[in-house]
Amino acid sequence: MHLLAISNDTLFIYYALSNLIYLGLLIVAIVKNVRHRHRLGSQRLELVKASPFTPPITLIVPAHNEERSIVGSVGALLGLEYPCLEVIVVNDGSDDATMEKLRQAYQLQTARILYIADIATAPLHAIYRSPLDPRLFVLDKEAAGCKADAINAGINAATSPYICVVDADSILEKESLIRIMAGVFADPGRIMAVGGIVRVLNGSRVVNNQIEEVRLPKSPIEVMQVIEYLRAFLVGREAWAGFNMLPIISGAFGVFQRDLVLQVGGFRTHAVGEDLDLVIRMHRRLREDHRSYHIDFIPDPTCWTEVPTDWRSLARQRARWHKGLIDTLWPNRDMLFRARYGRVGWLVLPYMWIFEFFAPIIEVVGYSTILLALISGVLSKSFFLEFLLFGYAFATLLSIGSVLLEEMTFRRYSDWREVARLLIYCLFEHFPYRQLTMVWRLQGIWQYLRGDLQWGSMKRVGIATGADA
Amino acid sequence: MGSVFKGIGKLGSAGLVLEAILVSVLGILLLVGFIVLRRWYRARYFHKRNQHTVALRSQWDEILSGKIAAENWRFNALDCEIVESILLDSIEMSSADKLPPLLDCLRVSGLLDMRIYEARTSRGLKQRTALLALGRTRAMEAIPALAAGLDSRLRETRIAAVRGLGRTARMEAAIPILDRIVAGRFDAPERSLKNALVNCCRSSPEVLVNYVEHTHGLVRELLARVLGELASPELGEQLLVLASDVLPEVRASAARALGHTNASYTLPALHSLAADSEWFVRLRAVVALGQIENIGKISILLRSLCDTNRHVRQRAAWALARMEPQLDQILEDVVATKDDYALQAFVSELERSGAIEKIISGFAGSGSHSAETALMEVVAEARKRVELTGKAAAAVAGAH
Repeated sequence: MHLLAISNDTLFIYYALSNLIYLGLLIVAIVKNVRHRHRLGSQRLELVKASPFTPPITLIVPAHNEERSIVGSVGALLGLEYPCLEVIVVNDGSDDATMEKLRQAYQLQTARILYIADIATAPLHAIYRSPLDPRLFVLDKEAAGCKADAINAGINAATSPYICVVDADSILEKESLIRIMAGVFADPGRIMAVGGIVRVLNGSRVVNNQIEEVRLPKSPIEVMQVIEYLRAFLVGREAWAGFNMLPIISGAFGVFQRDLVLQVGGFRTHAVGEDLDLVIRMHRRLREDHRSYHIDFIPDPTCWTEVPTDWRSLARQRARWHKGLIDTLWPNRDMLFRARYGRVGWLVLPYMWIFEFFAPIIEVVGYSTILLALISGVLSKSFFLEFLLFGYAFATLLSIGSVLLEEMTFRRYSDWREVARLLIYCLFEHFPYRQLTMVWRLQGIWQYLRGDLQWGSMKRVGIATGADA
Repeated sequence: MGSVFKGIGKLGSAGLVLEAILVSVLGILLLVGFIVLRRWYRARYFHKRNQHTVALRSQWDEILSGKIAAENWRFNALDCEIVESILLDSIEMSSADKLPPLLDCLRVSGLLDMRIYEARTSRGLKQRTALLALGRTRAMEAIPALAAGLDSRLRETRIAAVRGLGRTARMEAAIPILDRIVAGRFDAPERSLKNALVNCCRSSPEVLVNYVEHTHGLVRELLARVLGELASPELGEQLLVLASDVLPEVRASAARALGHTNASYTLPALHSLAADSEWFVRLRAVVALGQIENIGKISILLRSLCDTNRHVRQRAAWALARMEPQLDQILEDVVATKDDYALQAFVSELERSGAIEKIISGFAGSGSHSAETALMEVVAEARKRVELTGKAAAAVAGAH
C-alpha cells in the first residue's frame, strides 16, 4: 500500500514536471519566434543571393525505393533559389525503378569523377551526371541496409563546405536554402549546423513540385501528426536551440559543416536515428575540443514531408524513432552529468533519458499502479478521475499553445476551418492518440532489446504533380 | 471565479487537483478564444485595409502632387499607414531622378517628421519600426535621428539603427557607424554592420581605405572585409599596400578586391597571395584569379590545385575547368603533377562544367586508345593510388 502511494506520488510529480518543463519551453519559443518574425521583416535575401562569396552547398538525397517521388523531388531541389548548388542523389540499392526513373528523366550519363571514400561506405556501382543539369549527380551504390551509409557516400562525393541532407520524399520551399544559410551567415565561425522546420505535406496541393496550397490532411491520423510536428519544431527545437542545447536536427532537412561531419566520422552506419546520433556526437566533439559553437534551429526555412497515412506505418515509424533514441542515448551515456559536456550533459541528455526514453515505461507503470491503488482503495475514485482530467487538460493546453504559436508567427493554415480542425484534434491528441504512441514506443524498446534494428517500410502515397498530394 | 476556488479549496488535495483542472480548462478556453478573436480581428482589418487601399490608389496621383491635401488622409491612422507603405515601397524601387516627388510628399505631409519624432522619443518595437522606416526614406534629414539610435542602450534598437542607416544607401550614413566602430564603443552584430557599410559605401569605397589604415585588430578586419566586397579598380595601388598587410583578414580582402581589377600589378599580387600561409587568403586569391582574364594565371592555379586545403583545390579546379581553349594542356599538366587529389578536383570540375566531352573528342583524334578509355585509365590509376595510401590521408586532406 505504501509502495502504491509512493508510486502514485512519483507519477504525479513526474507528470507535473514534464508538463511544466514543456510550458517553459513554450514560453521561450513564443518569445524567440516573435523576435525572429520581427527580424525577418528587414532581412534582405537578395543580398545573400547576389553575393559571389555565398558558400556553395551540396544537397544530399538518400533514396531507397523512392520511384514514386524521386523525379519530382529532384526537380524541386534543382529549382531551389541558391546561387551555388550541387545535388547528389544516392540510390541506395533500390529494388524498384528509382534508378531507371532518374536515368530517363535526367538522361544520366556515366561520370568520370574520382570518388575518394573519406568515410567507408558500401561499394559504389557508378557515378552519373546529367547533361540536362550539370549540378545533378547520382551515386548508384549497393544497399547497406541503412540511410546513414547512403548519406556518407554523398558526403564523400560532395564538393561544398556545407552539406544539406534532404529526404527524397520531401519538398523544400524555393527560398528555404537561402533562408537556412542566412542563419549560418549570422555567425559562420560559430554555427556548425542549422535545422529548418519540417511540416506535413499530406493534404496540401502540389504543382510542379512546389506547394501551391497548404491544406490540412483529411484523415485524423495525419492531422495528429501535424500537431505533433508543430509542437516538436516550433516549441521543442526552437526553445532548446535558444540555449544551444538542440539535440537533433531532422534528417529530412538540416545543414551541416562538411568538415565537422568528416571529423566526427560521418553519420554512424546502422544508427537507427542517424540524425539524432550525429548531432549528439557533434556536441560531444565540439565540447571536447573546447570550441565556441552554436547548433541552431531556424523556424522559417521549410521542408514539407510525407507522413504515414496508415496506423501500421505510423506504429513502425514511432517504434523506430524510439529505437533511435535509445540507440543514441546509450552509447553517449558517459556524457551524462560530466562538466566537460556542460549543459548538454547536465540538462538536455538527462531530459531525454527521463522525459523521452523512460516516458512510456513510467506512464505504463503509473497507469497500472494507479489502477491497482484504485482497486485496493488507496486512491479515491474521484481523485483518480480528477488526476487524469488534470493531466489531459494541461497537456491539451500545451498542444493548443503550439497551434497558437503557429497562428502568431507563420500562419501556414490560412483557412479558419483548418485552424478549427487543428484545435479540435488537439482535444484528442492526449487521449487516445498519446496512449497509442506510448504502446508503439514500448514496442520500440522491446525491439531494441531483442536486437531488432530494422527500419521497416512506410506505405507512401507519393508526391503528386499538378494534383493533390 | 475567486469564490469557486475558495469553495474547492475546502476539499483538500482533491480540491487542489480540481483547481488545477479548472485553471487548465480556463487556459484552453482563453487560448482558443484568443486564436478566434485574433483571426476575426485580422480578417476585419485586412478587409478594411483593402477597401482603403483601393480608394487611395484611385487618387494616388492627386495625393502625390498635393492636389488632395494631406489633411484628408494624414490623420486617419489606417490611411496614413497605407500611404506611407506605398511611398516607401516606391522609394525603394525608384531611381534617383524619380525620388524628389516621393520625398516631397513625405516631407509636406509631415510623415517624415512624424517618423523622426518617433525614432527619437519612442521606445521598443515602435522606435525600431520608425528607425527602419526612416532608413527606407533615403532622406538626408533622417540620418541624424538614425545616428542617435546607434547610442541606444538596447541592442535591438542599435541593430535597427544600423539597418536603417544601411538602407539609406548614402555615404554620409556610413560615417556615424564608422566613427562609433573606430572609437571601439559599439556593440552590434558584425553581419548587420557589414551589410550597412556595404550599402552605404558602395559608391565611394575609398572612404573605407582611410579607416582601414588607421584602425587595428578586429575593427580593422571587419572594415577590410567590407572593403573587399566593394573595392573597385579605382582604388588602384592602395590595394597593394593592403595585400602586404600583417593581418590575414586584410590580405584576404585585398585578394578579393584584386579580382575586380585588371591592372599590371594584379597578377603578381595575386601570385604572392595565392602562396600565403593562411588558407583563406589563398582561397580568396584563387577566387580572384578565377575572375580575371589573364592566361598567366594558369601556372598559379596549377600550384593551387595541389594545395593542402580542399577548398583551395576545388576553387582552383573550378577556375581551371573554365579555361576552355587550354583545357587539353591543363589536363596534361595536372596529370604531370602526380597529385591524385588535384586530379580528382580537376576531373570532377570538368564533369560539372561539361567540358570533359570536348577533351575526350580532342583525344579521339590523337591516339590508338579510345579517348574515354585513356582518360578513365588515368582516373582509375589515381583511384588505386588513393586506396593504397589509405583513408587517413584522404580525411586529413580536407581538414587543413
